[in-house]
Amino acid sequence: MAAPDATIDIGSAAHADYARAARRNRFLGVTKGVSAYLVLTVFALIATVPFVYLLSPSLRHSYVLFTYPPQWIPENLYWGNFRTVLHETSYLRWGLNTLIFATSVTLITLVIDTLAGYAFARLRFPGRTVLFALVISTLMIPTAAVVAPLYIIVSHMPGWTHAGVNTYLGMILPMVCAPLGVFMMRQFMSSVPEALVEAARLDGASELQIFRKIVLPLMKPAIVVLGIFTFMMQWVNFLWPLVITTTDHMKTLTVGIASLQGQFVTDWGVISAAAVMTMGPVIIIFLIFQRWFVQASMAGALKQ
Amino acid sequence: MTAAATEVAWDELKLSPEDYSRASARYRRRRSRAGYLFLLPYFIPFLAFLVVPVFWSIYLSFNKDGLLAPARFVGFENWREISADSELTDSIKTTAQYAVEAIFLVFVLALLLALLLNRYRKGSNIFKLALYVPLLAPAVLVGLVWQFVANYDFGLFNLILTNLGISRVNFFGNGTYALLLIVLAEVWRGLGFWTLYFLASLQNVPEELLDAARVDGAKGFRRFRRVTIPILRPMLLFAVVIAIIANFQVFDTVYVLTSGGPYQSTSTLVWFIWKRLFQFQQTGQGFAAAVLLLGIILFLTALSFWLLGTRRRQERAL
Repeated sequence: MAAPDATIDIGSAAHADYARAARRNRFLGVTKGVSAYLVLTVFALIATVPFVYLLSPSLRHSYVLFTYPPQWIPENLYWGNFRTVLHETSYLRWGLNTLIFATSVTLITLVIDTLAGYAFARLRFPGRTVLFALVISTLMIPTAAVVAPLYIIVSHMPGWTHAGVNTYLGMILPMVCAPLGVFMMRQFMSSVPEALVEAARLDGASELQIFRKIVLPLMKPAIVVLGIFTFMMQWVNFLWPLVITTTDHMKTLTVGIASLQGQFVTDWGVISAAAVMTMGPVIIIFLIFQRWFVQASMAGALKQ
Repeated sequence: MTAAATEVAWDELKLSPEDYSRASARYRRRRSRAGYLFLLPYFIPFLAFLVVPVFWSIYLSFNKDGLLAPARFVGFENWREISADSELTDSIKTTAQYAVEAIFLVFVLALLLALLLNRYRKGSNIFKLALYVPLLAPAVLVGLVWQFVANYDFGLFNLILTNLGISRVNFFGNGTYALLLIVLAEVWRGLGFWTLYFLASLQNVPEELLDAARVDGAKGFRRFRRVTIPILRPMLLFAVVIAIIANFQVFDTVYVLTSGGPYQSTSTLVWFIWKRLFQFQQTGQGFAAAVLLLGIILFLTALSFWLLGTRRRQERAL
């Protein structure tokens, strides 16, 4: 790699040794590089191939699945599985429910978490440390430990007894209080220079004005990160929607797809068609906003 | 308003010490009020949907019913019942076994991939994207994909086995294989996340230290063991903590892939809780197990923070 050392005469035995060593080194380097890329390629394929693999049965009659040798590329495309998903299940309704659920949780979370984060980071009031410690201490509480009382609370929400089950409000509200967002927002807001906030205060701005006009514009990247993170957490959420929805048309995609398994026991064509319809849009959205996704999932390292 | 008043007072220097302290007290009160008002929108759902349910779970673990019928206080009966229930101990053992296997496998693979991606950066973006894709899928969907891959009649695994001349395996009929499927499904889903996490950590390892080690003649693996690992240790420990906590709650994949079977061999702790609460109507036992899960997780969290703390104290002492 480096130029031969000045003290080695070209053509000498030492130089030949050096050249041989350099060649061997280069050869080793190339071999290592090739095997490294080979390993990476194998794992990249393992990660992505199952999704491509799903495409094939979704475009075939289910009985073709059982032929041997397997027919990877369908001879003629069969769209009936997608039609079945659209007409015989509430797939579109589940998609809509998921969108409403995840979007609402995300929006509410963003509002209340930025407010609370600002209070913890930049406002002084008695009990601040204790309250923050309370929030932090709930970071690790597993959903499974609170899911049944949540069901009780939602189904008995004052005034509308048992009305909370199978409603959007009942689904959304209990999911907005994940403590991680507050923690994240406090960390981010601590980076806003104190002097900036103090200057605005001296100019007579109210705390709400400071928050809206000065802090929020600086927090845009953090808000996007928390937003994507929250949305993704709810998009894959299964346990809570499973518990709180009992009717077919209130299910989210995760609960709905899981229920397909019972409904279309062996009809893998239909199940894989539903899976393709679910993953397709997500992968496209991901490819467009990939940079933000990666950041968001790193921010979520604290949560599971 | 107050700002204007202060300005005037400042100019005329008329403010007596009492006035001054009264004004500052008013200012502090106003600032505190702002603080509480900012917290309120979060704290209402936080108390109602997180703090209260925790204590409610604890309370209901001493009751029978409570979910669909009114609660009846029974003292420690539920706790006695579940402590004598071999299904619960088996669930905890299964969960622990699953967690150890899944975490070990995913960490080894992710660390390897992160090291490769860190060393060979040309074109690494495409690999990162590919590894990230399974993370976008809900665990339920991942379960379905694996259900498909491991299917007896047409699954990819059995296809490979048949081509190798080995007889087919019914992965879902054998407890060991079924648990392994769940491990593999979760490893597959988590690999991208942990790879990116370790990659981000690796990029924090100062290049100069590695160069210094190189100059001192440390070869690849020793450099990794003696320089990279010690620097990564806090991040590794933190990762282990998060991974244990997350994996102790495995449920979605179990629900879709095996439903706890065959013969309860893949029944994890959350699966046990879910069944007692919502399927068998043995809610008291379900609540007791839920509180137990909470206890285990809090204990593990506390333990690991304590370990992290000791390590840091030791390092400071050095």
